[in-house]
Amino acid sequence: MASIDTQFGNDLKKFGAIDFNACYNCGTCTAVCSLSDEQNSFPREMVRLSVLGLRDNINASLKPWLCYYCGQCTTHCPQDAKPAELMMSLRRYLTSVYDWTGLGRKLYTSKVWEFGTIIFLSLIILALFVFFHGPMTTELTDQGGVKLNTFAPWKQVEIGDWIMAGLLSFFLLSNIFNMYLKIVRKERGLKIPLKLYFTELYYLVIHFFTQKQFSKCDTLETKKKFAFSSYWVIHWFLMSGYVIMFIMIVFFLGWFQTDNIYHWTHPQRFLGYYATAGLTVGVIYFFIARIRKKDEKSRHSHVTDWTFLVLLFITTITGILVHIFRVNGMPYPTYYTYVIHLMVLFPMLMIEVPFSKWSHLAYRPFAIYFDRLVQAAKKSV
Amino acid sequence: MTEEKKKASYDALVIGGGIAGGEAALNMANNGFTVLLIEKDLSIGGKMIHLSKVFPTLDCSACITTPKVSEISRHPLITIYTGSEVRNINRLSDTLFEADIIKHPRYVTEEDCTGCQLCEQACPVVVSDQYQFGFVGRKAAYIPFSIASPRVAAIDIENCTLCGACEKACPTKCIDFTQQSIEYLVRVKTVIIATGFNLFDPLKIPRFGYGRYKNVITAMEMERQLAPTRPFNTVLRPGDGKVPDRLAYVLCTGSRDVTIGNPICSQICCMYSIKQAQLLMGALPMADVTIYYINIRSFGKGFEEFYDQAKGMGVNFVKGKIGLISEKENGNLILRYEDVNANTVKEAEHDLVILATGVVSNPDNASFFTNNSLKLDPFSFICQTDMLASPARTSIEGVFVAGTASGPMDIPDSILSAGAASSEAMSYIISKQ
Repeated sequence: MASIDTQFGNDLKKFGAIDFNACYNCGTCTAVCSLSDEQNSFPREMVRLSVLGLRDNINASLKPWLCYYCGQCTTHCPQDAKPAELMMSLRRYLTSVYDWTGLGRKLYTSKVWEFGTIIFLSLIILALFVFFHGPMTTELTDQGGVKLNTFAPWKQVEIGDWIMAGLLSFFLLSNIFNMYLKIVRKERGLKIPLKLYFTELYYLVIHFFTQKQFSKCDTLETKKKFAFSSYWVIHWFLMSGYVIMFIMIVFFLGWFQTDNIYHWTHPQRFLGYYATAGLTVGVIYFFIARIRKKDEKSRHSHVTDWTFLVLLFITTITGILVHIFRVNGMPYPTYYTYVIHLMVLFPMLMIEVPFSKWSHLAYRPFAIYFDRLVQAAKKSV
Repeated sequence: MTEEKKKASYDALVIGGGIAGGEAALNMANNGFTVLLIEKDLSIGGKMIHLSKVFPTLDCSACITTPKVSEISRHPLITIYTGSEVRNINRLSDTLFEADIIKHPRYVTEEDCTGCQLCEQACPVVVSDQYQFGFVGRKAAYIPFSIASPRVAAIDIENCTLCGACEKACPTKCIDFTQQSIEYLVRVKTVIIATGFNLFDPLKIPRFGYGRYKNVITAMEMERQLAPTRPFNTVLRPGDGKVPDRLAYVLCTGSRDVTIGNPICSQICCMYSIKQAQLLMGALPMADVTIYYINIRSFGKGFEEFYDQAKGMGVNFVKGKIGLISEKENGNLILRYEDVNANTVKEAEHDLVILATGVVSNPDNASFFTNNSLKLDPFSFICQTDMLASPARTSIEGVFVAGTASGPMDIPDSILSAGAASSEAMSYIISKQ
């Protein structure tokens, strides 16, 4: 029995949904969507379920993750019900549904929780530095660089790194497992052969690394094979920059946080530059897009969208500054900026990766993976 | 142009010679009032005279319109100016309006023309026939259409080469290239506005491909192909002249759609599409007809039964608005839509697509009055200031509205509305005497 939640619509509004009750079910949105196909038709069904308050059906649906927000549905919606923004809000909502701790919902729906948590986590980092930092030496290395590892030895920072990585993985993976239970396991009676979990893994990997669904957005009307949009390229640049940086600071901190000043062709430097460039270009691009509100996808910004961009921006800028101060032999600016850098980086990763916006990096490819899994299982039956 | 404006006076001025304007004029004249009927087109009869059949009775539209039109034309108390426009109207007092009217030259002396069509045969210039939506051609000297009233030739001066062949062929010497516009200054006691509606221009929805894909036509174009005075003796698709056998209707083209600025229902498209589908079932017995709809609004008397009848005849109704149309190489069209009842996006191939274009207001409505402003509703139809108690009344005292000038409505409602407007206009004149 489907149960109707009369407050569901109001709940969705907290996640940014607007005007979706205007929908009169014509299906124009689905018909103009380049990513909709016979297996997965959206967004109208999602709008309908939201209007009716069928929370359980939404919770068990992966369709919101299959939308990459080109905004064509909203552009052509004859009732101006803004289906694209509803899909975005459902992604925020589902993030909070998969999160079993309940923190995700708090962070999305309460500014007090959002900013309180950021400040709290920042203060933890600050306290750690106040009490445990190494000597703030003004002595420089032979190459004229700052001895950052004396102030913050990488071995100790790495311990923190590993704790953080452990927490992030634990929360994110458990949330993904929760997502798996809600989406794949709800297909009662559907037996999924173990083999499929491995054969369909290809889709997870390919979609994580290429994000090629972006290239299909908005191709129906233009009749192009794919849309080589600046949005896709820049989003990919940002993502690859982030992934490289994440791997370097979590797994290779000793190599990355070095006091040596290498030639710029050394991987430590050019990978760092590449990642920083990706992050900077991406963040500035999305900042400008959200301020100009020219495209449908950038027109509506939830407070968490801005928080994420601002945190990422500060992290990137302070990271660049640490590097500049260090190679130019400016000890105190290096130390203070480094502390600020970590004070922003830590809360950003802790909040965004498992509980908030950044989790889409995992949920999107996993949604495609789960979808493939279910479809392949149905076919094999 | 003549120096002096010709002066005349009547009891009523009716603007628009469609079914509503004609009916209102006739009602007033039958009660002894003199009426001046102004029509922009070359013939009276409006849109209805071009239709095939009417819903829900499937009566022949021309067979209802033509007797009415000839009654109007022959009525001693009705004066008709075709090819004429009202430039502006001044309200001088309660029962005195002064209207500035221009009659464009027809280059044919109407009284002398017998409608013999010899000029048409003689004319060497062939252009596309606007009354048949370009399906066939006509001459530059032409009778607008076979059941036109007045059935009098006109010269299309823009396309005419001034060769003089028509002049030589005319047995009554009624062709007169020296004709000029005539201006009239007319005094009337009351005004009835029956300017009708325009059909939505489907070029405003590029994703339907109208204008780009030859086999995407409007319902009015299909109406001509189904009418008794149709251009071909069957239904042909324009792309290659093939007889279509998979036809699709796209409802709500330009209605109930905020993206093109018309959020309201046009009230007639569901029913005229169902009517055409039934007629097509007769004209092309082997054809499949599919109607893609959001909601079927069969609200009028006999409408629901008419809808059921169409379903019984085998018309395929699919709930889901068409999102996108693309063309195949052979001229067939792929329609992408969501089958709302199945929650699934689908694509269907059809060989002729008919866009059920909606009703939009006539932009002329706003511009008639100089010293008074005629209030319009948010969709630029004429505002009925007292819609429930006195539906024909407008924001200007003594000015009444009839038919679709006040909003979308079907033919029976237009005639009812014309009845209301003429009664109110007559009682207005009598009450002010």
